[in-house]
Amino acid sequence: MWFRTSTILRSPNGFAARAARGRALVVLLGLAFVVPMLRAQQAPSGADEDKRTIQILLDRIDRLEARVAKLEAAPASQAAAPPPSKLEAANTVSVQPLSQAAPPPTPGPAEAEPQTETSVDHPEPERMDMSKTLLRIRGFGDVSFHGDNVHGDTSSFSLGQLNLFVTSDISEKFKFLGEIVFESGPDNFYGVPGGHRNEVGVDVERYLLQYSYNDYFNLAVGRYHTAIGYYNTAYHHSTWFQTTTGRPLLFQFEDSGGILPVHNVGASASGRIPSGPLGLHYVAEVGNGRASRAPLDDEPVQNEVDENNHKAFNLAVFSRPTALQGLQLGFSAYRDLLTPANEPTAIGETILAAHAIYMVPTFEWLNEALVIRHSPQGSSRVFQTPGFYTQISKRWGSYRPYFRYQYINASSSEPIFPDIKLRAGPSVGLRYDASESVALKLQYDYTALRQQPGSNGLTLQLGFTF
Amino acid sequence: MKRVAGVWMSVAAAAVLLLAVSPRAILGAGGRAPQAETPGDQDLAIIVNQSNPVENLSMQELRTVFLGERSHWPNGRRITLVMMEPGFAERKAVLRDIYHMNESDFSRHFLQGLFTGEVFVSPKTLATPVGVRKFVFNVPGAIGYVRASDVDDTVKVIRIEGHLPDDKNYGLRIQAHPAK
Repeated sequence: MWFRTSTILRSPNGFAARAARGRALVVLLGLAFVVPMLRAQQAPSGADEDKRTIQILLDRIDRLEARVAKLEAAPASQAAAPPPSKLEAANTVSVQPLSQAAPPPTPGPAEAEPQTETSVDHPEPERMDMSKTLLRIRGFGDVSFHGDNVHGDTSSFSLGQLNLFVTSDISEKFKFLGEIVFESGPDNFYGVPGGHRNEVGVDVERYLLQYSYNDYFNLAVGRYHTAIGYYNTAYHHSTWFQTTTGRPLLFQFEDSGGILPVHNVGASASGRIPSGPLGLHYVAEVGNGRASRAPLDDEPVQNEVDENNHKAFNLAVFSRPTALQGLQLGFSAYRDLLTPANEPTAIGETILAAHAIYMVPTFEWLNEALVIRHSPQGSSRVFQTPGFYTQISKRWGSYRPYFRYQYINASSSEPIFPDIKLRAGPSVGLRYDASESVALKLQYDYTALRQQPGSNGLTLQLGFTF
Repeated sequence: MKRVAGVWMSVAAAAVLLLAVSPRAILGAGGRAPQAETPGDQDLAIIVNQSNPVENLSMQELRTVFLGERSHWPNGRRITLVMMEPGFAERKAVLRDIYHMNESDFSRHFLQGLFTGEVFVSPKTLATPVGVRKFVFNVPGAIGYVRASDVDDTVKVIRIEGHLPDDKNYGLRIQAHPAK
């Protein structure tokens, strides 16, 4: 036995095995002391009982020796080792109490039951706990060089949004998700400039506590991206994810001249709809909606106070049929009441959107159309603004050429966004993925405007994640 | 003039792009026929916790689970996907036969899923079959994969399309000599 023990001490094995052998060694040494003590304490009348006790102890020593021999052999062929049976797993658990002079274990059904992730027996507890209440941050950013023929514009290098995407698994059902974005440049609310050039500001773009009850019901509360159409919830604030250098005009952010309530503060429920091969999903949202009251150089997303008591509602349904993986068809309906200060009455806002998307790793074809309907109360006049875009691309190795055509046509007397008017035109570009996390894009844009000369623009962008 | 030139250039580029897109590329993500078995191939077993009531999954359901598009098992347990580290033959087989993706596409898929909020939890990555088996044994909602020869009674093997590993028509296989 001592020979074997000294062999253990010399054995150059892994830490876990050494720790286990160390515990076994302590037990063996303990037994070596305990056995003579037991012998010294024995009374003449209990000779038979002592023999039985010694025999039990010797049996235990034999079992421990067998286990030590097994541990010695294990590290060399860890990956190819035969899997532990339930009984072995139970015995593994029982070694630790034994080394602490606890009563000898008797493997039973309870020990063979599945254990929690925090089991002391687990070989990689730190990995299993990685997603538990650990704040994880993922970054996205881009730097661009842009030039166009618009009067007054200069060719410039531009810092894009620096996006810190933060998540934390609070529990099995709860999760936090946030996007903290640092961005430079002035704001632009419906054509009204705000802020200062070259100044970097911080926005909390998403701020969500998510609750996942099951596949059919998930609830998120906080600031989210409104589920209008597809693009808005698919790409958020990272150009790296996007094939192109930027979002379609329809889905521009509120502070970049966008016309949609891209962000909302409220609650969002989502989930699957039992529908077999149709793969139906729903999203139902209620929130403050978008600010419409002047001055428009204020924050357009109503983070804290709604300008009226009417809440914005949005309902979206989409299908991902199992027959064709990558296909998504859907529509959404959004309703809010706007109360702009420069209008005598409130204006009802309805946004109807539909999309047909086909996306697989090597090919994408995005098609979305929507109409924004503004109807001043007490008036029969209705302002309808249609818009659409189509985008197609195919990947060849690291290269992905793409094409997009987009169109928005708003009335010049549109009460909410009179600056938009007509904007239409194609974009062509090439994306080159220099690595898994860095993409270089070159894009040409032509935009036709109503009663103005069209603009030509060229953008070179380096997008990355870190 | 510039406007007309710009539009025509864009239309021409789009036309080239459309012509280049073959139906095969468009339908590339559809179902694939199981790989032909060659000598030395081994079956890949999909394993779950013994308490999991699921006995059988279709290939489509399996793909949905592995893509993170389903978050809970019928018993209410949250699904926790266990992947092996890049480089393992088991992982290559899963990427090829279940995901139809390469490593980059896989990473991007889960990164984007987490970003949109559609994927609630990213997959765990473990280094050894023993680690995968122990994880699945310990976590009631876990699902993972190991070679059929690495399976023991601590975990439960689920049927895929009604077949178990070693069945003639079983569809998940680790190729001894992957096609280039």
